[in-house]
Amino acid sequence: MGSTATGARPAKRPRLWKRLPGAFSRQLLDNPVVRKELRGRMRGRRAFVVLTAYLLFLSCFTSVLYYTYATSAEQPYGPDSYLIGKIVFGGVVGAQILLVIFITPAFTAGTISGERERQTYDLLRTTLLSASRLVTGKLASALSYVVLLIVAAVPLESMAFLLGGVALEEVVISQLILLVTAVALGAVSTYLSSRMRTTLTATVISYAFAFLSTAGLPLLFMIFLPILGFVSGGLYGVQEPHWLVVVTLIYIGGFLLAINPFSALIASELVLVEEQTVFFFSVAMPVSGSPYSQIWLVSPWLIYVPFFALVALLAYWLTVRRVRRRQR
Amino acid sequence: MSAIIEMRGLSKAYGNRRESRLAVKDLTLSIKQGAVFGFIGPNGAGKTTTMRMLTTLLEPTSGEAWVAGCSVAKDPRGVRRAIGYMPDYFGVYDDMKVWEYLDFFAACYDVPAEERVGTTGDLLELVDLSHRRDDFVDSLSRGMKQRLCLARSLAHDPTVLILDEPASGLDPRARIEIRELLRELCSMGKTIFFSSHILSEVADICTHIGVIEDGRLVAAGNMEEMQRRLRPQRAVRMRLLGEAEARQAAKEALFHLEGVTDIQDPPDAPGEIVFDFGGDDANLSAVLTTLVTDHGLRIVSFSEESSGLEDVFLQVTQGIVS
Repeated sequence: MGSTATGARPAKRPRLWKRLPGAFSRQLLDNPVVRKELRGRMRGRRAFVVLTAYLLFLSCFTSVLYYTYATSAEQPYGPDSYLIGKIVFGGVVGAQILLVIFITPAFTAGTISGERERQTYDLLRTTLLSASRLVTGKLASALSYVVLLIVAAVPLESMAFLLGGVALEEVVISQLILLVTAVALGAVSTYLSSRMRTTLTATVISYAFAFLSTAGLPLLFMIFLPILGFVSGGLYGVQEPHWLVVVTLIYIGGFLLAINPFSALIASELVLVEEQTVFFFSVAMPVSGSPYSQIWLVSPWLIYVPFFALVALLAYWLTVRRVRRRQR
Repeated sequence: MSAIIEMRGLSKAYGNRRESRLAVKDLTLSIKQGAVFGFIGPNGAGKTTTMRMLTTLLEPTSGEAWVAGCSVAKDPRGVRRAIGYMPDYFGVYDDMKVWEYLDFFAACYDVPAEERVGTTGDLLELVDLSHRRDDFVDSLSRGMKQRLCLARSLAHDPTVLILDEPASGLDPRARIEIRELLRELCSMGKTIFFSSHILSEVADICTHIGVIEDGRLVAAGNMEEMQRRLRPQRAVRMRLLGEAEARQAAKEALFHLEGVTDIQDPPDAPGEIVFDFGGDDANLSAVLTTLVTDHGLRIVSFSEESSGLEDVFLQVTQGIVS
């Protein structure tokens, strides 16, 4: 009826924006799982060895890139620093993505299944720790180390600024793609960890997912490209298809291109360089018979980031649901 | 005393619709506040399943259960606040120090940060692990780990302790330590619901027992009442001054007394007589008075032999293992 038996109004729930700081603090800052995991992760040599090895690898890779280009460039006034800057930046970001894809499942695939293997899962479930706090704590602590790896490599990327040729937008887009890749892979691996009985199985399936989303999608795109060519008649010289079919295929192809981290990075860079835009651009309609002369497209990173953010959210929600569920 | 744990028609079936096996069958049981309830039964009888349902880990197939007034099905958070659970395995993080382990679980039970330092210290003192505060959990002995797990289950000062085989796999000293700890917790007013295979231990510290076999509760109640109920004939042992003549006179006197049966000379204790008696305490007192005053027997000791928990267990169970 909207009021209590004594006639007093029930306490009004504060608005979402007022609840957010408290929820953030409870989920992350005041989360015992975060504290425990970070303490355990940073204890001993492993964390520092991994970080050092990672930075050494990136440094060597950057040096090799720089040296190779500098010695091979036959410019009368020495190598073009603008191009070296771009190559170094692209190389570091590419290597970072590769490492994030390799490292994230290793850190997150054992989060829940590891608790089961240590026989501590039931103990946690009988405490007052909510399923969302447990999953957030596990995910956040594992990802915080991956984020540390990403941030630790920023000085290497900043070398490109000294050489020139890299704009702030490129840095922001690349870091966003890196971050979202790490979060999505982490969330999916955590979900798999909650589903699988052993960490080994969860790790294998997590790597399979990472491989499919990075190498499998380009393969799909390569299969899709001839279909697009066939339908549009460009490759085989058959009759011109309907413009709607072509536009739909272009959007599907663009989507497949945009949900792969490597192709999304390269294509976003091309859009930035060729079209001079960060967000939207247009291309001429490739077939006749359409009332429109142009097709509007978005820069691939604008698809990649929300898409994988959604994947991460879905995986997180499924994991929380799974952890909350009582054994039947 | 009100019931702090209550189960009504609690059942649990494993498997699918086509082929399911009932692990717990229609369990109805009340445990009063402050009781030390020993839950005994053979392996696979359904003890752990019952405990997992009470601790909100396992969903009952049918029936209901309440702990501290909170429904296990509807208010699992309320139940978790009221219970401290120790399963039959350690469940420890090897890469944590002893104090970190307790601090972590206290935080998981929403114990405020400013209280946790004191709580951790008190718990370590209670389980006699203060000297190992900064050691890694991995370096503790089995008995110490078990004590640490017991301390963990007390981190939020629960009213009910649910302990699954708390002394299993421990050496005699560690067992005694755990038993003493349980006694201390009992004196602190905690209700303890625990399962065990070691019947002598259950008999030592329990106020109430429940015997479960093949998923069914076959007997439950106050320890003494159970013994009496299951063994209507009380065994009485008495020792007399004097030689064989005195014993013979006593046997003859006993033979004519009402309720006395099966008079024996125990081979392990010469000079003593053991007989079964079917009456109550008042009748037994009257027997003693008659022997002393009417027959002039010089009795040194006259006591009822308590039937062990083993007897009770053997009498109520049939050796069925699921």
